[in-house]
Amino acid sequence: MITQRRKDAKVFFAALRLCVKCVLKFPPPPAEYRSVKVPTAAVRLRETQNADGGWGYFPGKQSWLEPTFYASIALAGEPAADRAWTLLKSWQAPDGGWRPSAEVQVPSWSTSLCVRLAQSRGEFGEPFQKGVAWLLSSAGNEAPLWWRLLLKTKLVGESDRDLNYIGWPWKPNCASWVEPTAHAIIALKQAAHGFAKVSSTKLWDRVRTGEAHLMDVRCTDAGWNVGNRAARAQDLVAYPETTAIALLGLQGHKDLDKSLDLAARMARDTISPLARAWLTIALKVYGADVPASTVQTTSSPETMIAALNIIAEDQAEFFRTGATT
Amino acid sequence: MNPNRREFLAVAGASVFAGYAGFTGAPPKHHPLNTTSHVSVIRAKSYSDDLVSRILEGVKQCGLDVRGQRVLLKPNLVEFDAKTCINTDVAVVAAALEAFRSLGAAEVGIGEGPGHRRDTYAIAEMTRYRGEVPKFDALFTDLNRDDVSPIQGFADRGEIYLPNTALRADLIVSLAKMKTHHWAGATLSMKNFFGLVPGSIYGWPKNELHQVGIDESIVELNRIFRHTFAIVDGIVGMEGNGPIQGTPKQVGVLVMGSDLPSVDATCCRIMGIDPAKINYLTMAAERGLGVIEEARVEQRGEAIKSVATKFELISEFKQLRLA
Repeated sequence: MITQRRKDAKVFFAALRLCVKCVLKFPPPPAEYRSVKVPTAAVRLRETQNADGGWGYFPGKQSWLEPTFYASIALAGEPAADRAWTLLKSWQAPDGGWRPSAEVQVPSWSTSLCVRLAQSRGEFGEPFQKGVAWLLSSAGNEAPLWWRLLLKTKLVGESDRDLNYIGWPWKPNCASWVEPTAHAIIALKQAAHGFAKVSSTKLWDRVRTGEAHLMDVRCTDAGWNVGNRAARAQDLVAYPETTAIALLGLQGHKDLDKSLDLAARMARDTISPLARAWLTIALKVYGADVPASTVQTTSSPETMIAALNIIAEDQAEFFRTGATT
Repeated sequence: MNPNRREFLAVAGASVFAGYAGFTGAPPKHHPLNTTSHVSVIRAKSYSDDLVSRILEGVKQCGLDVRGQRVLLKPNLVEFDAKTCINTDVAVVAAALEAFRSLGAAEVGIGEGPGHRRDTYAIAEMTRYRGEVPKFDALFTDLNRDDVSPIQGFADRGEIYLPNTALRADLIVSLAKMKTHHWAGATLSMKNFFGLVPGSIYGWPKNELHQVGIDESIVELNRIFRHTFAIVDGIVGMEGNGPIQGTPKQVGVLVMGSDLPSVDATCCRIMGIDPAKINYLTMAAERGLGVIEEARVEQRGEAIKSVATKFELISEFKQLRLA
């Protein structure tokens, strides 16, 4: 009996040793090897980070905020992302707005991205608070007061949009456009849950007005382009990438079924990897199926697209905001 | 008239700002008043013609020497719609590349910053640039996302950031498309420089240029970039509600020259548009950037009359019609 137990124990420990050897020899794949697409893109991102901690739009180019933001989300939790955030913090201007790169002294729509990044990192200190305040003070320069008054007289016809609904511009002293408006809405909605020290009434008012602006400039095909429904009374078509970004800004809004159907068709048919990544993120956030591509997406040397592919694959939830309250 | 926001920005912005906007930059290199400009009009019936020899012929007629220079080809690449002809045809781009190489340029690159779509390489794919221009990716710079430098003096805005690839070029060749434009009247070689402005700073669209005023911005960009040559793709142009939603118009010409206002004025005459009624052309002429009077343009190649074909104009621009 005892001999048999000893034999069993011997076999058990031999098997255990073998298992330990196997585990040591073949360690489990690191987190980035979760899918076929992700590892190549992640390796590419790590290899192309600039010495200052940022990323250029293309490998070897100077660092810009936008690709650095997306790359740092894609590599979240890694030291590379921490170095990126250190760099981005240094680009915040005293008024709270963020410059798009070290070389450019123009505050930019990309402040939304840094506010969102600070929030995701749980950093609600001064950079975050000043960024939120800057976003709330930023508004599209749609038309001067005299023109709006003239429109009310109906002597000059009607505007193709409701000028009461102001969104966000790409840079100060410019009109509102879809992308900066959607990103500002995403940042502010998430900031509302992230200890923003501003009046919640003011914050949600701006969000609601921005959402109304997006709905106002929606194309007749139910999608969005840069922000014009028509030119000279002729309907313009929607673009896939802006349709996806607008949908992310409008989470929780009603009447989006046709837009989501269009987004699914666009995701199926687009050859743009940028558009495909954004549409995948949007459809996942809405809990919709992401259809398989019917065409081959084209290759791209862009850093931002490599990062967005990783985000679309694994981290679409980063853009989930919930509905406006 | 039913003005929308862009119309307001274009018309009111242009008229208001252009009226008082200080010309804050360096003084323009004035075009000598007693000189003429050479513009070459070369027939090319289709994109399958031998466009390299057509371009070489035009360059020779205009007396351009590019030996040892860094040349940047700047096509008009906006967005893609298979039903119409928004962009400079790939055959013209490929032919220009070969022509300037054969003329002894030290380097010939291609650069563009589309004003509407974010994914420049996908647009280049759809327009067949990546497939039909040999080694396109290696030659191409996305000017929307290039490294930039500030240039002092841009209308009333003080400074503008521009892509280093364009600033470092010895010669920028505006490979424009012959199109009507629903705000500016016509978009040709001068307006094509909107694509030199980086979207990474000014957005999609580059609304800063509309806020400054479309006409003012066109003239200012052409004041900053003075070492230029134009090749306008008028083999198939666009009429009606251009530059995006118009319809194709067969003309069968390439129009070339070093004086961009002269080239654009000649294109206007071919299209049946009075160049003296195009604001940015008159502004450019007044500021000494070139000449637009027919008498001061020495026409080479085809006579305008022999190739002229009236482009359809939207109702708001009927008054632009050449008498």
